[in-house]
Order: sequence, then structure tokens, then C-alpha cells
Amino acid sequence: MSAIDAVYIYDEHNNLLLSHTYTNRPPPPSTLLPLYLQHAAPRPSVLYVPSLHPPTVVYNITQDNLLFLSPSSSDIEPLLVLEFLHRVADALEEFLGSPLLANKISANYNIVAQVLAEIADGGVICQGEANALRDVVETGPGVLNHLLGKVGLPGNAAVPGMQSGSGSGVGSGTLQRFQPTGSQTAVSSQGSAIPWRRSNVRHTSNELYVDIVETLSVTLAPSGRPLAAFAYGSIAFTCKVSGVPDLLLTLSTGGKGGGMGNRGDQLRGVMERVVFHPCVRLNKWKSEGVMSFVPPDGKFVLCGYEVDLLGTDAPIMATGKNAYASMNLPATVEVTTGLGSSNNEFEVRIAQPASSSLSSARSAAAASLQSNLSSSGRAGTFKAGSAGDSRGPSIENLLVSVPLPSEVRNVTELRPSKGEANWNPVEGVVEWRVPAKDFGPLGAVLRCAIQGPTSDGAEDAGAVLDGMTATTYDYTDDDPTGAYQSETGSTNGAATTTQAKRQANTNRNRDLMPTSARLSFGVKGWLASGLKVESLLLDTNKSRGLGAEVKPYKGVKYLTVSRQGVEVRC
Amino acid sequence: MESISRISSLLETARDLTLEAARDVGPRKPTKALPVPQIKKLLDSRTERDVLDGLRRVISMQYANPPQPTLTFFAVVLKTLSTPYPSTRPLVYNYLIHHAELDPDTALLSINTIQKSLSDANPRVRAMALKTMSGIRIPMISQIVSLAVKKGVSDLSPLVRKAAALACVKCVRLDENTRPQVEEYLATLLLDKQYYVAGAAVQAFMEVCPERLDLVHPAYRRLCKMVVDMDEWGQLAMLRLIPVYARKCFPRRTKRVRRAQTREEKAKDFYEDLEPKEEEEEAAADYDEVEIMDPDLDLFLTSIHPLLQSRNSAVIIAVTRAYLYLSPQTHLPHTIGPLIALLRSPQDIQQVALHNILQVCIHDPKPFAPYIRHFLVRSTEPSQIRTLKLELLTLLFPHCGKEVQDLILAELEHFSHGHDPDLVRESVRAIGRCAQVPSARTSRRCLSLLLKQIHSADSNLVGEAIEVIRHLIQRSPDEHRKTVVRLAKNLDSLVSPSARASIIWLVGEFAGMRENTEGESIAADVLRILVKGYADEEDEVKGQIVLLAAKVYLGWCNRRNEKRKALEGLDGEEWRSDGYDALEKEDEGGFEEDSTKAAEKAHPIELLYQHSMLLARYTPSYDLRDRARLYRALLAVPTSTELASLLLLAPKPVPVAPSPGEARKGFLLGSASLVIGAGGLQGREALPDWVVEGDEPDPDLRAEGKDERAEYVPAGSVVVSAGTRLDEALVAEGGKSGGKGRGRTLNDWLNDDEEEGTESDEEEEDGESEEEDGSEETEEEESSEEDEEDDEEDESAGLVR
Repeated sequence: MSAIDAVYIYDEHNNLLLSHTYTNRPPPPSTLLPLYLQHAAPRPSVLYVPSLHPPTVVYNITQDNLLFLSPSSSDIEPLLVLEFLHRVADALEEFLGSPLLANKISANYNIVAQVLAEIADGGVICQGEANALRDVVETGPGVLNHLLGKVGLPGNAAVPGMQSGSGSGVGSGTLQRFQPTGSQTAVSSQGSAIPWRRSNVRHTSNELYVDIVETLSVTLAPSGRPLAAFAYGSIAFTCKVSGVPDLLLTLSTGGKGGGMGNRGDQLRGVMERVVFHPCVRLNKWKSEGVMSFVPPDGKFVLCGYEVDLLGTDAPIMATGKNAYASMNLPATVEVTTGLGSSNNEFEVRIAQPASSSLSSARSAAAASLQSNLSSSGRAGTFKAGSAGDSRGPSIENLLVSVPLPSEVRNVTELRPSKGEANWNPVEGVVEWRVPAKDFGPLGAVLRCAIQGPTSDGAEDAGAVLDGMTATTYDYTDDDPTGAYQSETGSTNGAATTTQAKRQANTNRNRDLMPTSARLSFGVKGWLASGLKVESLLLDTNKSRGLGAEVKPYKGVKYLTVSRQGVEVRC
Repeated sequence: MESISRISSLLETARDLTLEAARDVGPRKPTKALPVPQIKKLLDSRTERDVLDGLRRVISMQYANPPQPTLTFFAVVLKTLSTPYPSTRPLVYNYLIHHAELDPDTALLSINTIQKSLSDANPRVRAMALKTMSGIRIPMISQIVSLAVKKGVSDLSPLVRKAAALACVKCVRLDENTRPQVEEYLATLLLDKQYYVAGAAVQAFMEVCPERLDLVHPAYRRLCKMVVDMDEWGQLAMLRLIPVYARKCFPRRTKRVRRAQTREEKAKDFYEDLEPKEEEEEAAADYDEVEIMDPDLDLFLTSIHPLLQSRNSAVIIAVTRAYLYLSPQTHLPHTIGPLIALLRSPQDIQQVALHNILQVCIHDPKPFAPYIRHFLVRSTEPSQIRTLKLELLTLLFPHCGKEVQDLILAELEHFSHGHDPDLVRESVRAIGRCAQVPSARTSRRCLSLLLKQIHSADSNLVGEAIEVIRHLIQRSPDEHRKTVVRLAKNLDSLVSPSARASIIWLVGEFAGMRENTEGESIAADVLRILVKGYADEEDEVKGQIVLLAAKVYLGWCNRRNEKRKALEGLDGEEWRSDGYDALEKEDEGGFEEDSTKAAEKAHPIELLYQHSMLLARYTPSYDLRDRARLYRALLAVPTSTELASLLLLAPKPVPVAPSPGEARKGFLLGSASLVIGAGGLQGREALPDWVVEGDEPDPDLRAEGKDERAEYVPAGSVVVSAGTRLDEALVAEGGKSGGKGRGRTLNDWLNDDEEEGTESDEEEEDGESEEEDGSEETEEEESSEEDEEDDEEDESAGLVR
């Protein structure tokens, strides 16, 4: 039993956009949605609804504010369904463009219907590759042009010959994302020999882009010592090359993990637990540490990996406080709680660590750019993928969020030394944005005071104490059997009460203090792992359908982001 | 691996803005709704463009919300099939599949046209026609569909054969009677040389007839070699199929290596028999490794190894499942890294992956210990993920060094101060589970950590902490006498009723009875103070106070009786008791104690007890009044306390707090039941047990002709993919193993013949004697089988063990 029953797509207001039933008689979308919404907010991706008959599991993902649901009443592998839903989202994005929007879907039901019908046949998933779907899904003349807002030319306007005639140069290459497949007759009747690549790819401008994105996940102890620090990397590849190119991508570690073994070993020392798109030849990776592949057309994820920023074989607890500095993160954050006269204030401080000033990374980036230029001269030139690269890496979108408990009534006196801070009572988060230009080595400080609930609670606590003043249990730990005074005098009761009250007040404020703060930022042109693209070669011997004189345009982009990924405990 | 849409959302920094903006200025609805006649006119038009436009409108109406009636166009749409433009065909077919059920008569009109397309020159058209035809849900045409599938099975184009494989599923769904034919088709398709046809065939096989394992025999080796090249969905089907197949077709061990089985000690025994030298042990281990499994099973297990680098999380879990249930010792360690890699996938997948990792971890926690940092909880994660991570941390806790244990405890302490009540509860429980480690020192540290929590103002946290402390104390009461006292002190300030009740119970249980030093313990004192505030307590607490009173009084009575007995033994004269006990008199054999001391002032404990009984009597809760009555009746006669002791002082079973994941052990790894933790889903099945040796099908069935193997070329994959290379290696290996296998089977045949000659009529007994062989392996299986008789779900668990 591994058949998908149905796919329902809802827009951001939970209105049904599309329902496609593959097989059986699954519960209709109108029944399913309320049952799904019934569950409290962080909903699990696998939601069991025993109240339906037969008991049904609702699988769900959210992509670009759209909600994808798939019900199933048989014991199907959950990950199969979830992966399938992700593939559906990817495929729709491939056809309709990113981001996926509700009105794009509703305007192109005919394409969506075909995509859904082709991706699974009678519920049995048969074609998960978005790019290969291009061979079978009939988009018809002019549809995609319309999407791009071009003036629709009548008939087969998108025949490649005509487009090259229209003089679209290298510069406007990005607009050709939706290069249509031409008419059906042009499509090879045998289908593509490579399951993930559509057949008969033609591009007027041949381009290759490598985007390496690393997402940070760092946890810091209150002392500032890193408990865990990982960078989760993905290599997104955009290939717009005619014919069937055969590519060779070589990465270098940028000095890390050096000293032992060949490049492959070094690389594997840094990139851990690698997963690949099916196009990558595994044994080539294993033997030489290079990625050799025939890419799908268009955008895809070539490879995913992770990097332990604390070093792979570092003993878990031997990481000292300076380990944070060695990670070279562009910003540090620390939180001090329990400040002020009644312990109701806290302070967040962010700074640029001296050791990891971006300037050093900047020079490194420049150097690597140089080396790229020289080393890859044979196969074309690397150009900076974006302006960020050429200027050197720069931090942007700096945001600190401090979650506060729900009991906090208000946050007063938000005093940021730089940037803007505000208190979001709905989500219970203090958000502090610091513009990149204000963020220097001196750092910035935010101080705020919180107000707890009105003090009924304190009186309650006092009342309890009052009721108990006559008798206290003062057994001593040391000698449990010895000193059981039966009663203590009630004379010092009042004094203890006020003291206890104050104590309770402080305690309560302590309970209201934040327990963590999260730092978000993005750095263009820099990778936390230090990986570099050394070369990207197009093997002209193995490639087909590409003129020998064609030199594709190549671009490399590095990006490190932290989406609330640096978390400091306090 | 992250999906491309998620990565591109990272790359496009201003994406959220784009979302907003694009919504506002996004593409206009290209089609204005047209009246029905006008659409019909479009469909009737002769230009491809108009027809296409019309069809698009119809399809949009069909999917629109609320759906608009489109059935009226049926005839017009079908008419467009007569002049098939390539661009309109998919849309017409889509429409047809959608509406055929609603108007079967009209739909039948199209069958003829589609049948014609089945012989089109373009294989894509043929495949599409076959797909559409089988998709039409009219049972009447099942025979026609079946014929079409038959034709498709022998088609030259793999595209069509793939479509035929998928059509098999729909054909059986359409009409059960076609099943025998369809199974035949599938048998052919499973043998297909094209990997994506075979992959689809396996998928269809799993849908149609997963129990017909006999169809798999001839294809087995080829399928194993092709599995790396199949698409992910075919791989998943294979990974579902082969574990079942392996369990049914490969006995746990071959005859030849019976004694050198997986268990180390057996290998040892074996070699000690032959040559009792210790040095040979390493060689024994090697031998063990090599010979452990059938070469055909080994072929499968080796060929799925590259799949661990798949980007599809479902594949990784499925490979793990195959290794876990087929060869936990040899292969399972390879899966740990890829499993950890799943933790970087999107949160929806991460949740499911964690459920599965947890099960693998319960099976064998050790290999996960180095990855402990991956399981650290982050405050941004949803509660489901946090709970699972906390459980994993506690599972790994006993396997870590001291420093790491410190780290884990610090983590748990941090989260027990959190703001989220669920998280607080989970982390306190986790501390409790950590405290179960055998090391006394760690256990003490956990306890002190918990004791710190009870001063917190958060009643939720305090309640949980006391609950966990209670469990700990119950586990080793003697060490924790002081702890009870310390807890009792907290009764002053605690407000959480459940915490108070727990403490009072603990006082009654562990402080009251065992401390005889002064004749009375703190329990009585605690009771005295509690009784004063009785009226203000919650019912839960009141109940415990009354119980405490009963226990204290009972303890007092017991001690008095004992003392009296002792004194009577010593010197009957001096002992003056206010008790009178007929039973005792009988026991003592007529020893008369007449001089009962009367009018002695009642002891404070007795008075306390009477007072609390009175309090209970006038409590609104009838449950409480009933309890009080029960205690009163039990303790009515102060000198006869045996029954009361039996009831009130019965030794309580030590509570065990197993990891919550243990409850799900019975579910198959990777299944939906495992994730939801309930077994109500259809089609849930556990893996079968290993086949008993001798019952397995003949390995010769799996043999494939040498010439065929040579012929096998991964046609279509022009690129020399990794898979191909691997295939070559495997072909070479397979040739070897195949030859070996044949030689062995010949021996087996001879052996079997001999055995049959002697014990042909005692087959059942033979099986039994084999089981009684004294081999641990079979005994274990046997016992697990017995366990499962009432509960099938435990099947896999038993095997895992």
C-alpha cells in the first residue's frame, strides 16, 4: 500500500485552491480541513484523525504560505508522502515560477492538473523529477510567456530559432528561465535517456550558476561556550546549457582539514554526511572528491552536506570559550538578565568579534576570486555572481529576537543603542533590528524592562504564608530524626512575610526573564565552512549537443544565513 | 536534502516582500469566464489554438473552487479527439478520466479512438493512451484494458512498458477478476531489463499482489542489481518488498555455518571444540562475518548501500529498515550517519525521521553517542520535535562520558526552567529517566537537580518534579530517607495540590513506618500540622492526609503491639496494656492478661487519628468519606492490625518510567503507525518471521541464465553512471556467488534426500527437535513467537531483540 489518495492545496486563508483525487474515495477537502485546523498550532506533519471512518492520517506541508494536504487511510510510509508533497511543490514551482502563489495556481489549472496527473499515476508515484515532467506536460504556446508578462506572440512564438533571432543577449539570460520546450513534435519520442533531464534542451545563452548556501545552527551555553555549531550546506545549481552537458565541479576546503590525504579526503573531512542528487556519480566522489554529473535543466539542488564548525573530532566538551572565536562568525550575542533594582530588566549585546572581522574574510574572498580566475582560465571565467561578492562579504538583515514567556504583560523602555527594537505581544517576542551600516566592532546594546502580571499572585502567595506562619517545618537535613521542634513562635511571622514577599517578587521576575535569544543574519560572499568552488569544468568530450566553441557563462555565489540559527542560552 | 524551493527562498532575500508584491501585481486571470455556448464554439473550432483555449477553460472550470459544472461539454470535448493535436490530447484525456465515471455511456464512445492511439507510432502517445484507458473507471471495459496492458507489456518502448506496469494497478482496482492476468503481466515486467520499467513493475507488484513472492524469484538478482538505478519510488517499493521476501526465503543461517552463527560465543564454542586455542578467535570472527548470510541476501544488502546517499529521506529510512530487520550487526552501523543527516531536513520530515531514529536508538543506542550534539534541543523547534529529542538525549545518557552527561543534565535543567509547560514537563521527566542509570553518583545528581526545582514558583514544574522524585525514592527508599524529610519541609510553601499529595504520600510511605528510633517519626508531626489546615486543602490532598493518618495510627498500633509482645516475652508482669486481643490470647495459649490498664490518657497519635477521621467524615467528597469509613473499619480493633497492615503497608511495586518510545517498538520502522503510535490503520503488517530452515524455496529458482546476464546492458543510461559501475562489480560478484550457491545447493539436495529417507514421515517432529537443539537463536524466536500469539504487533520487536 503506497498509493497516494489525493492532494489538496489550500491558500493562505485556508480556502481550497485545488483538489486532485488519485484513487479510492478519500475524505473530501471540506471535511478534512476543519479536522486539520482543530489541532493546536504547531501541527505535526503527520496528523492522525481517528474520528474519521476509516481512521485517516493527514500528511501536510506548508510551502510559500500554501498548505498541501494528503489524506491516507492505509499504513503508507509517511516520508514517502511528505517527500511526494515536496516534489509536487517543486514541480509546480518549476512550471509556474517561484514563489508559488495562489493566483498562479488558479490561473493555470490546466498545467497544474497535468503536473499532478503525471507525477503520480493512479496514486502510484511515477515521475518525481520536475525537469523531466517538462517532456510530458503540455504547456502550449504562449502560456509561460504570459506568466512572465511578455507580450504574447501568436502561435509558436517560443521556437528557439525565433528567440535567438530576437537578439536576447547574454545579459538578459535570466529571463529565459521558462524557455519553452518548443512544440510537441520536437520532443524526442523516445523520451530523455536521462531520467532527470528533459530532452532537447536548447538555450541561446549557455549559463551555469553555483550557489552555495549554508544555514547556521549554533547553540551557545550561557557562558558563551558553543555547545553545538553546525552549518547545513546546500549546493543549488542552475544549469542552462543546451544539449547534454557533462560537468565536473571541484570544491576546495579553503585550508580547513588540510595536512592529510588528497583533496577528496580533505573535502570529506569538512563536508560530512553528504547526500546527492541522483545525477552525481558516487564513485567519482568517493575516489577523487569531485562531483561529476549530467545536470537536469534549470535549477536543482546538487548536494547537501553539513559541517561541524567545532571540528569533527573535537572532543565534545573540550571546546573552550575561544571556540566561538575560532568559528569566525560575523557577530556575537550575549544576554544579561536580572538587572535593575527589581531584577526586571535584561540586556542584549551584540558585537563583531575582533578575531573574525569580516575584513579578513574579505581578503580571502578576493584571493579566492583571483585564484578562480587563474585556475579556471581554460574553461571560461568565473564572474562574481552578485555585487556582494565583488565588494567582499557583508553582513545584512541583522535581527535579534528574544522570546519572552506568555505571562509577560508588557515590555517597557526598549532602549537600543542602535537600530530599532519593538515588542510583539502576540508572539511574545522582542525583535531588534540593527542596520548593517550601524553595526561595527563596537557592537550595540539593547536594554528593556518587563512587566509581569498584576500582583494578585503575590498576595496569594502571601496569604498562603500567613496561613502557615504558626507552624513551619524546620527539620534539618543533617539530622532528620533529631530536631523536630514542634512549633516555632509566630512572632517573627510578619517579618518573614514581607521578606518573603519581596523574595517572591524577585523570584517571579526571574521566572519572567528570557531564557534564550536568537540571532539572525545573512552574509553574502562568505561561507562558514570556508568551502570554495575551485573549478567548474564542462567536459566537451562527454557532452553532447553543445558546440565545441561554446563557452558557458559561469557564476558562483556564496551565502551564509542564520535564520534564528545562533541561539544563546541564558 | 532541502527542496529547491526552500533553497531558492533563502537565495532570494526579499522573498517575503516578493510574495506580497506578486500577489498584488501578479498575473491577471488570463481567462475571463465565458458562457457555455461560447466555450462549446471554441471547442468546435478548427484551429488548434481555439480548441486548446476552450479546453483550458473547461479544465479550469473543473478545478475551480467552487467547481463549476463541466459535464455538459463531454460530447464536445470527446469530439476534439477526432482531430488530435498533440497539444490538446493531454487535456482531453485529463477531462475524460475526470468525468468518465459520471457519464459512462458517453465515455465509452471514446474507447475506440483511444484504442487506435494504442498503436500510434509515437511511443509517448501510446503510453498516454494506455494510461488514460486504464484510468477510466468503468468496470465494463476491464477486459479491454487488460488486453491493452498485455499489448503494452510487449511493447518495444520502455516508456509504454512502464505505463503498462502502472496500468496493472488500475486494472485490478477496476475489476478484481483481471487479477490472474495482471499477475502474469507483472511477472513479465519484473524481468524487464530496463531499470525504470522494473522499478515501476515492483511498485505495481507491491500494490497488486505483494504476497506472490514466487513471481520475484527469477527476477530477484536482477532487481537487486538494478535497485541503485531505479528512481526513488521504485527503490522504495523494492525496499518494502525485499525484506519480506528475505524473511520468507532466506533461513536465518545456512546449514553449513550453523554453529558459527552471529553470536560470538557460538563461534567460540565451535572453535573450542575443534582447537581450543584462544588465538584462533580472531579468525573465527572473520569467518563469522563472511559466512553469516545467504549470498543472495548479501547481494541485496550490498547493493542498497549506495542508496544511503540518496536525497530522499524515505529511501534512507527504508534502507535502515532493511538493515535493521535483516542484518543488524553487520550493516546497521552504516546507517547512523545518514540518519543523522536527516536532522537537517525541513521540520515536517525531521519529525518523522526522529521517530524512526528513536526506534533505531532503542535498538542500539551506542553508535549514536558521538552525535549527541545533533540532538540538542533548540528553542525554535515545535514541541513534537523537542519531545523526541529529549527522549533521545535520555536514551543516550547512559552511554556517554561524564562530561557529556554533565552537558545533558545542564541542558535538561535549562529547559526545565523554560516557559512552555509541555517542555518543562518533558524535561523534568527526562531528568527522571536519566536518574535511572545504575551509577549512584549520577542518580544523586539528578535528584539534587530535581530537588532544586521544587522551590520554583511554577506549580507545573514543581508537580512534575515531585512526581519524578517520588518515583526515584520508591526505587531505592533506603537511600532517600533524608530526602523525604527535606520534602516534608516544603509542605510549608508548596501550593500545587498534586505535589503536596505526592509528598504526603511519600511521608506516609517512607517516613512513617521505618523509623522506630523514637517510637514515632516525623510522619506524626507532619500529620499534626497538616490536620490544622485540612479544611483549606484540595480533595486530592485531603485524601492523602486521611491516608497518612491511617498509616500513622496503624504504625503506632503495630509498634505498640510489638512492644507489648516483646515485653510479654520478657516479663509479662510488668507489661500493662490497654489492648485486649482474643486472637493473641489464643496464640499465646491461654496466657491471660487481665490487668488491662484502663483510663490511661489516650496517646496523641490516637487522638490525631480520631480527629482526622472526624474531619473526613464531614468532608463533602463522598469518595473521601468512603475511604475514611474503610480505614475506620480496618483499624477498629487496635490490636488486630494484620489485615490493615496488609492493605495499607503493602509493598508498592517500583514504578518504571520507560522511554515513551518503547511503547512503539512493535511497529515497523518507517511505517505511519510508528509515527502516530496507534495501530488503527488499514494495511498495517509486520515483517514475517525468518523462514525455518528447510522450508525456504529452492535457491535455484533465483538463478538466471548466464547468457541473459551477459546481455544485460543498462540501455538508455548513456552516461556511465555510478550505478552502472557498481552493477559491473556486482555482476562479477554475483557470478561467483551464484556458482557457489549452486554447488552448495547440490550438497543440500543430497543432504535433504538422505534426511527424507530417514525421517520422511516425521517432518513436524524434525522441526521441533531442531528447535530444541539448545541453540539460543531458535529459542529466542520461539519465545517471541509465543509472545506474539496474542499480539501480532510485537512481531518485529521480537525479531529486533
